[in-house]
Amino acid sequence: MRGVIIPACFILLRITIARAARMPHSSDMSSESVAIQTRGLCRRFREGEREHVVLNGVDLDIREGETVALRGRSGSGKSTLLNLIGGIDTPDAGSVSVAGIELAGLSERDLTLFRREHVGIVYQSFNLVPTLNVADNVRLVLELNNVPSTQASTRIDELLNAVGLADRADSFPDVLSGGEQQRVAIARALCHEPAVLLADEPTGNLDDNNADGVLELLDTLVRASGHTMLIATHSIRVASHCDRVLELHNGQLEPSASQ
Amino acid sequence: MIPVAYSANFRYLLRHPWQLALALLGIGVGVAVIVAVDLANASARKAFLLSMDTVTGAATHQIVGGPRGVSEDIYATLRVEHGMLDIAPVVEGTVLVDNARFSLLGIDLFAEQSMRSFTGETRSNDSNASNPESLFVEFLVTPGVVTTSQQTAADFALEPGSAFELLANGKPQQATFLATFADDANGSVDRLLVTDIATAQEWLGQTSWLTRIDVRIADGDDNALRALEAALPSDTRVLSAAGRTRATSEMSRAFMTNLTAMSLLALLVGLFLIFNSVAFSVLQRRALIGTLRALGLTRRQLLAIILIEAAMIGLVAAVLGVVLGVVLGEHLLDLVSRTINDLYYRVNVTDVSVEPFSIVKGLVAGVGAALLAAAVPAIEATSYQPRLAMARSILERRTQRTLPVLTLTGVALTLASAVLIIASGTNLVAGLTAVFLMILGFALCVPLVVRVASSLGAPAAKSLGGTSARMAVADVASGLSRTGIAIVALAVAVSATIGVSIMVDSFRGSVSDWLERALQADVYASAQRGAMDPELIDAIRDLDGIESVSTLNRAWIENADGRIQVQVLQMPRDAYAGTDILDADPATVWPAWENTDTVLVSEPFAYRTGVTAGDTVTLPTDNGLFEFSIAATYQSYDTTTSGIMMNRAIYARHYDDETIESVGLYLSNDDRADTVVEQIENLSEATQQLYVTSNANARRESLRIFDRTFVITDVLYWLALGVAFIGILSAMLALLLERAREFATLRALGMTPMQLGGMILSQSGVIGLLSGLAAVPLGIAMAWVLINVINRRAFGWQIDMTITPSILVVAVVFAMGVAVLAGLYPAYRAGQNSPALAMREE
Repeated sequence: MRGVIIPACFILLRITIARAARMPHSSDMSSESVAIQTRGLCRRFREGEREHVVLNGVDLDIREGETVALRGRSGSGKSTLLNLIGGIDTPDAGSVSVAGIELAGLSERDLTLFRREHVGIVYQSFNLVPTLNVADNVRLVLELNNVPSTQASTRIDELLNAVGLADRADSFPDVLSGGEQQRVAIARALCHEPAVLLADEPTGNLDDNNADGVLELLDTLVRASGHTMLIATHSIRVASHCDRVLELHNGQLEPSASQ
Repeated sequence: MIPVAYSANFRYLLRHPWQLALALLGIGVGVAVIVAVDLANASARKAFLLSMDTVTGAATHQIVGGPRGVSEDIYATLRVEHGMLDIAPVVEGTVLVDNARFSLLGIDLFAEQSMRSFTGETRSNDSNASNPESLFVEFLVTPGVVTTSQQTAADFALEPGSAFELLANGKPQQATFLATFADDANGSVDRLLVTDIATAQEWLGQTSWLTRIDVRIADGDDNALRALEAALPSDTRVLSAAGRTRATSEMSRAFMTNLTAMSLLALLVGLFLIFNSVAFSVLQRRALIGTLRALGLTRRQLLAIILIEAAMIGLVAAVLGVVLGVVLGEHLLDLVSRTINDLYYRVNVTDVSVEPFSIVKGLVAGVGAALLAAAVPAIEATSYQPRLAMARSILERRTQRTLPVLTLTGVALTLASAVLIIASGTNLVAGLTAVFLMILGFALCVPLVVRVASSLGAPAAKSLGGTSARMAVADVASGLSRTGIAIVALAVAVSATIGVSIMVDSFRGSVSDWLERALQADVYASAQRGAMDPELIDAIRDLDGIESVSTLNRAWIENADGRIQVQVLQMPRDAYAGTDILDADPATVWPAWENTDTVLVSEPFAYRTGVTAGDTVTLPTDNGLFEFSIAATYQSYDTTTSGIMMNRAIYARHYDDETIESVGLYLSNDDRADTVVEQIENLSEATQQLYVTSNANARRESLRIFDRTFVITDVLYWLALGVAFIGILSAMLALLLERAREFATLRALGMTPMQLGGMILSQSGVIGLLSGLAAVPLGIAMAWVLINVINRRAFGWQIDMTITPSILVVAVVFAMGVAVLAGLYPAYRAGQNSPALAMREE
């Protein structure tokens, strides 16, 4: 895994410079430093006659470059909160602001464009496109963001080097191990320099060895480079890699007792 | 049995109602087409046989003569001199009432009682004359009175005692409606007018002649039969009544067999569909199946669950199909009966007769197809390891591994088809079996071709349209377990359209060329069913600008083997070029045809009977059987497959018949054709209505009838395409279900609904394109077999195959259109699904 970390360090500088270049120009730096902000966020689901309140007035502030772990029992609403922040789902009440963009009122198309540009997602089940090889899985996101082909190829090379899969660029997902697939997913999530990275149980489907590798990658490619990251996880080990740990309980956020 | 396991599987179907509905619809439409064609064929045949049986009545035999019929003197001799009482004279023909065709039956009421039940009795409330005896007398003594069925009287608003005009042999005649038959015999005698024999003879221009004499001989009474034969002169023969009916009905056998084959094609496409549907539902339930296996369900139990489920689907679909088939059959019946009327014999049928056997066939076909189609996925499912889930990639790899075996099997079936064609001689059913073997063989080769094409096309797609375009192309190959069968179904349906289109196009081209050659005269005039008035012919000859005249009579000569049409021709030598001699030197053929007892035989006749130039053909003549030499075979697209061409002078040596049905006029100036047509119409107005047409019109009309006979073929292949459309829609929806998470991930990564929908539509388009391209070689091969094997064996026609490129292009574009259309809804649905789905765990 050490081999993965060394090339990752080489591109650290590039990522930091790129992020600085993307920062919005504004005189009010205190508001810009908040990467994710939610206020009074509510989300309910209906199951037949019953209404199930998953989030009940969630207030959250995550600074730029901060990594936050979100813990809670199964069904506590971790994934729901990630979906709302990522513009994948819309709240019943409350507001979400990501990278200074207020999501309330955005159309479906604008939400899609917001996700495409500002959000990177890492799933528990990797969710790679099975019919695309490793390089094309990453390229897909760059193409969606209209990155020119040559520039995209350079970026893919860099990232696959960073995640230690340069030699597997032409392989298809079904021949990769779980750990390898998740590394591709991380490369895909970061390739377009998103404002926030959302990770839903990124090590949930991995054994300890592979989980360690993924955590090291997240440390080097995300945390150390100043990306903002929100990880939903059950794992104390994963949470320990983050700056802050929050507990989702009864639809509301509380600082974790374990922290 | 394990009810809970059944319930677990069955609930899966209920949770995916569209999948279930499309499977039911696919197999249902397949069954419907089979049932509809079967019912239409059976109804037309039954109506014809019923009508023939009713008109034949109790007659066991019929005495027939030469082209003019039987002299009425023979009847008198048999009855008076030989004391034969169970005989009845009949004069038959066709007349027009309000432009509708009616059969006219002339009878001798005194002789009828022992022969037909419906002719001698009438309904008592039909006439003011309450006494049946007065009706009887009126029928006998009043010229021009007719009886008909109650339904026909109602259709034409005929009231007892009312007079109406009919057209017999082109001449208007006054008829009086007397009463309706006492027994309508289930509608089998609709559109039939019965009149006294003398009236019929007068109207049809058959004075002193009978069409036939019906005879009733007790079963097994060979002595009576021999005595009858001995009493007859040499120009008459006794034939079995049932045999005559059978021989006439056999004329349309090839046509009906071809229709049945076309309907089986729709079922074959439906079979692919049910295969696709069951295979996919099994694949979808791999986790459930794995769990059930892990919990202790045996392979045998699992096999039973899947097969019983397929049988249930097949049964429900078949029941739906039968209902739909009856409705569809009503519409097809119109087309079938019109074609039979155009080409073979008169049949009057309006209602589908729902035969239990047709229904059973439909049900068996539906359930059988479902079981057959489910067998492979069912056996496949039992091979799953008893674990909770099996990766899709493993299933796909398994599918990919079977491709070479499938392809080899396909090649073997195609070779078997070729061997069958070569080895089966002239057998039509074997030819059709070969077509189906070829289709199956081809179908098995399609998946490998698709995989190769998709793999090769993916990089090109990427360079043209980026990664999403690459996905659209590559996904077709990587999802073969889902899309493969749908592609095959569409390819088979499209190939049928290509094959049939090329065949019809080639056929039309050949017929058009043939008409161009065969129709040599500038103007044609013919009697509307019957002989032309000789005086009228003379008057026509005397018209200005007529250089020469040809005459034609189509005489039907009948023996125990059936009816033979002899075309009796007298034509100027310049017109000989219109007859394409196939197997002899025209320079020697025509002098022999003019001067010796020689005939020409049509190509279909030669093919059917196996004769060629130099052989002989034996025909009954006025002087008994005579052996004519065959000078040559000529090209013909006549539907009777029994054409013989005889010079009028030679015909006159053997038959006492000067009938002329039509004349061809050769003008000194072609431009005067329309004027001459007008002149003849004026001439004939007062004497005999003729059908007069210019050469160009005659050709147009012939081609119009040609096109009309293929309407039913078009309907059938559109239905097959409809089934294929359902297949693609089903496959695309299944893919949507299967790849919901993948699509949600793409949405989460930033693909807009439009982009995702566009990608799915592109994939549909690629499926259509590959299906269309794959269909081209099969379509061409199918056209070749249809032209050189099926048409040849069915009708004896030799057609020059021509491939119009536009047919191929249209077919490929059409396949893409069908696929894109089927992809619209899945594409829309995919765009609507929430990207949050990607977050959920399986």
